[in-house]
Amino acid sequence: MTDGDRGRDESEAVPQDGSRRKFMVVGAGVVGACVAGITIVPAASILTHPLRVPTTSGSDAFIPVGRLAQFKGDKPVKVDLYSDKVDAWNRVVQVKVGSAWVQQRDGQLVAMSTVCPHLGCAIDYDAENDKFLCPCHDSYFSRAGEVETGPSPRGMDSLELQTEDEQVAIRYQRFKQGTEDKEPV
Amino acid sequence: MREWLEERTALPGLWKRFADHPVPGGPRVTNVLPAVLVYLFVQEAVLGVLMAAHYSPSSTDAWASTAYLNDQLASGWFIRGLHHYGMSAMLLATVAYLVQLVARRGYRRPRELVWLCSLGLLLVTMALGVTGNILPWDEQGFWAAQVELGIMEQSPGGEALRTVVQGGGEAGNLTLTRLFALHAFVLPMAGALLLAGIVVIGRRSQAKEAEQAARTQPFASGQLLVDMIAILLVAVALVGVTMKTHGSELYAPADPTSGFQARPEWYFLALYELRMFFEGPLEPVATMVIPGIVGVFLLSAPFVDALAGKVGRWLVIVGGSLVMAGVLALTAMAVSNDEGNESYQKAMAQARKQAERARGFAVEGVLPEGGPAVFRNDPEYKVRALYKEHCENCHELDGFGGEEAPSLSDYSSREWLAALVRNPNDPRFFGGTKHEDMDPYPESTTDEEVTAIPADQLDALVEYLWQLQGEKDVDVVLAKQGNELWDDELDCSGCHEIAAGEEGSGPNLLAHGSEAWVARIIRDSSAPDLFGSEAQMPKFGQDKIDDEQLKELAAFIARQRRGDSAEAEAEPAASED
Repeated sequence: MTDGDRGRDESEAVPQDGSRRKFMVVGAGVVGACVAGITIVPAASILTHPLRVPTTSGSDAFIPVGRLAQFKGDKPVKVDLYSDKVDAWNRVVQVKVGSAWVQQRDGQLVAMSTVCPHLGCAIDYDAENDKFLCPCHDSYFSRAGEVETGPSPRGMDSLELQTEDEQVAIRYQRFKQGTEDKEPV
Repeated sequence: MREWLEERTALPGLWKRFADHPVPGGPRVTNVLPAVLVYLFVQEAVLGVLMAAHYSPSSTDAWASTAYLNDQLASGWFIRGLHHYGMSAMLLATVAYLVQLVARRGYRRPRELVWLCSLGLLLVTMALGVTGNILPWDEQGFWAAQVELGIMEQSPGGEALRTVVQGGGEAGNLTLTRLFALHAFVLPMAGALLLAGIVVIGRRSQAKEAEQAARTQPFASGQLLVDMIAILLVAVALVGVTMKTHGSELYAPADPTSGFQARPEWYFLALYELRMFFEGPLEPVATMVIPGIVGVFLLSAPFVDALAGKVGRWLVIVGGSLVMAGVLALTAMAVSNDEGNESYQKAMAQARKQAERARGFAVEGVLPEGGPAVFRNDPEYKVRALYKEHCENCHELDGFGGEEAPSLSDYSSREWLAALVRNPNDPRFFGGTKHEDMDPYPESTTDEEVTAIPADQLDALVEYLWQLQGEKDVDVVLAKQGNELWDDELDCSGCHEIAAGEEGSGPNLLAHGSEAWVARIIRDSSAPDLFGSEAQMPKFGQDKIDDEQLKELAAFIARQRRGDSAEAEAEPAASED
């Protein structure tokens, strides 16, 4: 340790010691970065895991919601959709995953999600005006689901519906909020 | 920039003090331990936060979330493993530092507090290990908690203490939330303070020593790099161990009925072994008195050394060596006892097998009931649930269920078949149904209307039925005799066809009792070649049982004759290894 031999007063040794010290500090930094990497790399991996692998999943099958006769009236009917769901480490059986408005349109049964395309509040039916209404930000939708007034960027999201042996079933999906186009999440 | 920062934060000045700190005698390998401790502590903290971000401290979710972290999240096992081994490394490093302090008399004035802080850190690290071990709420954690809380209860005022720590009379949600708070907040804070004490007080006295030292060197000019290299070596070793063991163990979820053979963490094995020498009412000698004496001795070591001169110095060295030797010897004894303990090894092998099953099932997700509910993902459990839902009302199995239809206990075993032929109208078979076309065949009779089948003929007939079923272990000679009886003497073929698709007044018995046959019966037993128009069993169509469920249910019923469940099949396999 030559610099140590030069004496105790470090300030005298600075000119020669500067580069050596710099090398030492940089070396220590490099080694330290390597050690930190041991934690940082898996940390980045575990934290971004949800970007690569879905952590929640519901059934994408058709969910039975009732018999055809229930929806014969001219008012829309709200139905709750129950399905099995996986939520990270849990598997839950038959929980409510969402709800939908079901009604007759032009002789056909159609279903629309109750999730408002604006910011995700629950769309209600305003019987007095015969319109759909999102109460959070006052988006009004026609019975066909088109935006009439309010901030919603698109009409209500329709859901796939099928009827088999008088049994009505809906495929539940969630869509991106706040966009003009209806894209599944 | 520097001045700007200095004016506002004093950070550059702090760095300068840190970097310029005079190291007496220049850089030395023997100076690295405090730095290694700081590294281990910081790494544990970061890894701990990462785990806390994926862990749910509740008795229903703790195991499931740990299994998810360990087995399903990318690099979760690595993070958990490194955290686990990091704790052991911290303990070893603390002990090494204590030994070094004794050996170099580094605990003397003005460094007594460095010694006391190190002892405190040792204690806190152990407490971190104990609490951390419990958090996954697996068999190991749960049972270790039972023992540790039991020991706690023996101390004066222990019952109240246990209730407070446990959050109630029994281990549950509050146990985990409390231990989690302790493990993640309280203990690390205490550890950080003690570690700061070691570093700051140590440096202070180092600076004092530097004033008298023949040569010194600024910390950043040498010691820093030496420290970092030591840290790197420890890190590499830790990564190596973690990779080699694929992280830390995770046993099956806590099951209060399992009787898991819990052993304490390795650093408590000495105490565990010590307890063996003090049975019954003397137990507190091992759990309280001896550890207490050792504790007091360690706490007073620097002062004994200072007060009693040379004698004191020797007292500390001899006493310390005795403690170390005792701990090592007891630990070695505990390890070798367990290695030689066959029943313990067997139980552990079983526990690991169970862990593997549980973690396999956990991939599908654990039901919200949590913990052992994971075993409901077992296909065997699912098929039983299916059976309960659809079949049990009419068909008895293992003592449960109705008598409206044939019993399925030992369904279509040789014994079952023989008993059926003897008396088809017994409640065990078709007694509860409207099927009454088949006559009983007693062993002997005086009634001319009734056909008797002597025992040896029945054996042959059953063997033939066994063969028809498609079994592999058939006594071919016996079955051939049965075949002849079937065709000629007994005229079974008058009602039961055995050619594919042929219809008789009774069900076609080709491959009867096989999975495919059972599946057809479940779907529709009124097919013309089965029970025809007389069929009474409801049809189970796609709407009730889908194809996959049908396959599993049929296989389940068909395997009843081979002695029960998949679990029974797994049992002998487990004891083999």
